[in-house]
Amino acid sequence: MDLRAGDSWGMLACLCTVLWHLPAVPALNRTGDPGPGPSIQKTYDLTRYLEHQLRSLAGTYLNYLGPPFNEPDFNPPRLGAETLPRATVNLEVWRSLNDKLRLTQNYEAYSHLLCYLRGLNRQAATAELRRSLAHFCTSLQGLLGSIAGVMAALGYPLPQPLPGTEPTWSPDPAHSDFLQKMDDFWLLKELQTWLWRSAKDFNRLKKKMQPPAAAVTLHLEAHGF
Amino acid sequence: MAVFAVFQTTFLLALLSWRTYQSEALSEPLPLTPESLKVSINSTQQCLHLQWSVHSLAYHQELKMVFQIEISRFNTSNVIWVENYSTTVKWKQVLHWNWESELPLECATHFVRIRSMVDNARIPEPRSWSSWSSWEEVDERNSLGHGALFVFPKDKLVEEGSSVTICSISRSYQNNVSCLLEGVQMRGEQLDPNVSAFHLNNVPFIRETGTNIFCTTGRGDGTGTVLFVSKVLEEPRDFSCETPDFKTLHCTWDPGSDTGLPKRQPSQSYTLFESFSGKKILCEHKNWCNWQVAQDSQEMYNFTLTTENYLRKRGVNILFNLTHRVRPMTPFNVVFKNISDTNATMTWQVHSIGNYSTLFCQIELHGEGKVIQQHNVSIKVNGNYLLSELEPDTQYMAQVRCGDANHFWKWSEWIGKNFSTLEAAPSEAPDVWRNVKSEPGYQTVTLFWKPLSKSHANEKILFYNVVIENLDEPSKLQLHSIPAPANGTKLTLDQCSYQIHVTANNSVGTSPASVIVVSGDTGNKVEEERVNVTEDGFSMSWKPQPGDVTGYVVEWCDHPRDLPCDLQWEKLGPNTTSTVISSDAFIPGVRYNFRIYGISTKRIAYLLEQKTGYSQELAPSDNPQVVMSNLTSHSFTLSWKDYSTESQPGFIRGYHVYLKSKEGECHPGFEKAILPDDSVSCKYKIYNPEQKTFVVENLQPESFYEFFVTPYTSVGEGPLDAFTKVTTPDEHSHLLIRIILPTVFCVLLIMIICYLNSQWMKEKCYPDIPDPYKSSVLSLIKSKENPRLTIMSVKDCIPDAIEVINKPEGSKIQFLGSRNSLTDTEITQPAYLYLLPTEKNSSGPGPCICFENFTYNQAASNSGCCGHVPVPPEAPSQLGLLTSPENLLKVLENNYMNSLGEIPAGETTLNYVSQLVLPLSRDKDSLQTDPPVPALCSEYKMQMAIPLGLASPPPNEKSSVSSVTLLDQGEPHH
Repeated sequence: MDLRAGDSWGMLACLCTVLWHLPAVPALNRTGDPGPGPSIQKTYDLTRYLEHQLRSLAGTYLNYLGPPFNEPDFNPPRLGAETLPRATVNLEVWRSLNDKLRLTQNYEAYSHLLCYLRGLNRQAATAELRRSLAHFCTSLQGLLGSIAGVMAALGYPLPQPLPGTEPTWSPDPAHSDFLQKMDDFWLLKELQTWLWRSAKDFNRLKKKMQPPAAAVTLHLEAHGF
Repeated sequence: MAVFAVFQTTFLLALLSWRTYQSEALSEPLPLTPESLKVSINSTQQCLHLQWSVHSLAYHQELKMVFQIEISRFNTSNVIWVENYSTTVKWKQVLHWNWESELPLECATHFVRIRSMVDNARIPEPRSWSSWSSWEEVDERNSLGHGALFVFPKDKLVEEGSSVTICSISRSYQNNVSCLLEGVQMRGEQLDPNVSAFHLNNVPFIRETGTNIFCTTGRGDGTGTVLFVSKVLEEPRDFSCETPDFKTLHCTWDPGSDTGLPKRQPSQSYTLFESFSGKKILCEHKNWCNWQVAQDSQEMYNFTLTTENYLRKRGVNILFNLTHRVRPMTPFNVVFKNISDTNATMTWQVHSIGNYSTLFCQIELHGEGKVIQQHNVSIKVNGNYLLSELEPDTQYMAQVRCGDANHFWKWSEWIGKNFSTLEAAPSEAPDVWRNVKSEPGYQTVTLFWKPLSKSHANEKILFYNVVIENLDEPSKLQLHSIPAPANGTKLTLDQCSYQIHVTANNSVGTSPASVIVVSGDTGNKVEEERVNVTEDGFSMSWKPQPGDVTGYVVEWCDHPRDLPCDLQWEKLGPNTTSTVISSDAFIPGVRYNFRIYGISTKRIAYLLEQKTGYSQELAPSDNPQVVMSNLTSHSFTLSWKDYSTESQPGFIRGYHVYLKSKEGECHPGFEKAILPDDSVSCKYKIYNPEQKTFVVENLQPESFYEFFVTPYTSVGEGPLDAFTKVTTPDEHSHLLIRIILPTVFCVLLIMIICYLNSQWMKEKCYPDIPDPYKSSVLSLIKSKENPRLTIMSVKDCIPDAIEVINKPEGSKIQFLGSRNSLTDTEITQPAYLYLLPTEKNSSGPGPCICFENFTYNQAASNSGCCGHVPVPPEAPSQLGLLTSPENLLKVLENNYMNSLGEIPAGETTLNYVSQLVLPLSRDKDSLQTDPPVPALCSEYKMQMAIPLGLASPPPNEKSSVSSVTLLDQGEPHH
């Protein structure tokens, strides 16, 4: 694997994932389990970082597509992007989501988006753009691992993709190049929306998971026994 | 068998009848109508594809036909294209024809029909068309699928600069479609209630991902298309092939722009085709290709390089003889042998290009980055060349390249290598010059030499040897070794003549010696001249010297203001009598002095001429300090004698004296001038730089003037400084000074003398106690009145009382009976000591001795300082009239004269009569008639019996002082 300086965040994400899986290892889970709180915090931090990283990448990519895709108020119809997982959800529905469902939706969304993004990377014409996209894919892979770690910490099973339903982002022969560009535009936009939502999701989880002081004491006492 | 015969006959008849029909058909226009017309659309190519057949053709019949095709748009009556298509039609042949539509075919219904005509020369004109086929309608709009808005063409590929028509189809009649090209709205044409067309002319290449066209109805929907604009495929330039070894042909070209579009069109491809051999290869690289030369000794090659992309195909051709396209490979194994201080042999090898081939090689020798030698040599395989005329201890770079000597095509690449020649002793004597300063008893010789050039030093100079030979005593030699990089040395020698040898030494050896001779002679002095300046420098010439002169030396200082002044010199041949001295160190405004020496055969330098000049004269940088003197009411003198004309940035040509006056009128000799600050002044020009004084004349008394003196050179005058202000004095002031001052001085002198002699004068003229013997009164009395009258002697008096006068400290006491009276300055409290018994001590006219002194009684009446006012007995009532000094004087005089006349001798009352000098202006008669009346008293007190009732109150101290003061201010008494 070609390791570059730009991959450091991806590596960090992987490291986070590994670290989050460590509590699951019985031999290491003997002392001081801090709970899922730090893991959620790191996942939250990672979403914020990716959000920042995507802003730069999307700017470059949309410039590569050319106007009107790089215009700030461009809002084309979502013609071919219906297969993309939607991040927008009714506020009440979002509030009523339980932790498992919330995490599962995040995991599934990023699994799909990562596949689409890899397809986008393959089609990119310039080497510089391919490098940026590959770097972002690695980071997104780290986020996916981080979410998986949180789910594992909370005892939730990972959603299993149905065989043969691996989403792909390959150009439809019937698709015109313009529609393909619109799909690329929506992919980046949906990814951005998902990162915003994930930040909120993990912020909510983080607050929810903060144990009260008494509970911490009890937890420690239990370990003492 | 009969059946067979009947069948055969029938067949033959039928065949016969068909042939007959055919022959008839050929002789008349045949109605061969196109049938089975099918029309399809190729969206990518934007083409209508037509296919049809002509069923009426006979078997194996070939017929030349013309098909007329008509295309209508939107409706059949709107014919937009009519074209005749000629072809030879065969039996059962399906005919094809394409038509490329400018408008995307998806945007409109198209109708096509066709008819034909036999195009046979045997058929005479006029030929007739067949009937039209029925209209075939092509409408892609029905198959567009769902969606409210469509834009065509999709992903169209065009060349830069071409024209394109974009169309949009809206499902709704109300939709007003607007389309943006790269964010800029396009102007469209409504072809149909649902269809708009947008014509783009001369489309530019913007980016590889295509030009975006986005259309929207403004209702949240929108779609677009990408127009891929490719750069125009260029013809390859500079296509050529060459071989280094007759095995491979290396062909190169300039491909021009890349026409590739990543998602739409790959980069253009290049194909090399050789027509003689019929071989063709696809080149992997865009600008070069290798072709393997066949072993069959093919000499001629005809290459066609073809490049193509989706839109265009272009080719370029070259034909050449292989032997004329030989470019040898780069030589190798370059070695330098037998390197000496001036020579080196260069050897190299070349790759063989054939058994009998000869190579032509070029050798270049580089020194200090420049080509200094170039040589050509022909070789077979091994080359060598002797590089000569090299400089010792120098690094060189030699390179070689070769070409085919038989049919030169191109040089090979250069191959080069560095080498250094060996060291050698310095080849030239150092350029030596000297500066001699003669002092009493010895001379200081400073030697200077220039470092040898690299070509002459041959190696790093380590030291210089200076050998001093005393010409008067040849046996005496001194050797000084000066380590490099010194460029001079100082010697102190006696007044003998010396021959000095200077050599430069490196590690290999010694240079030739440079010899100069110095003698104790101080040399002659010559007049300094000004030197001409040209663009090239200081141009100077001198008179050729008679006799043997081995050369001339021009000497100057590059930095004459510094110490050391960086002495420079230029040695010239004996036949040279002029030169131009230039130096980068010369700066404007600095005076440079040049000395020209002749060098005798004995190598002694003697001064011939001295020149001075400026590379560029400047205006004076400062002005002289002007001193003003001799200021009178009509003139003053200006002088600036301290101003040096030598150290100025140009030759001072004179001075400008500026004078400003309130009147603004210029005096004779002055002219009006406008100063840099736009003020007007009067200017006087002094043309002699040595005239450093100027008298400003014709001035008005008591007037205000301003003056300013500045020098000028050929460039201009000095900076404008502040004017000095001066006001001329009054015209009579000098007279006043001449008269008043001495007068005042004299008066002062007299006053001082008077003061100093006042005591003496007082003693002499008006002593406090006059000497009666000296009084003129006495003589007057004696002569006229009473010859018996005499001066009473004090010793004859028997004092009955002594008046003691209190005096402040330091005052003098008058002693009774003494002729030398002492001056009483103040009298404070008189007191009387009665020495003789009297009847009444307090009052009453009793017998007393009274000293009368009328000299000091004038002011007493006013002051009233003395209580002892002498009152004549007979006229006490007159006291009331003593109101003024004149009256008093008169009264005194009268009383005095009367009393003198009336007093008989021998009476008890004694009157002391003082000398009274009468004023000369008075009438002597009145003086004689009026006896003196003592009206006042001063320090001198008159003792006489005074009735107490008449006596004034005793004077106090203050009043006494007042009386003295009064006396001083009164008219002088004589």
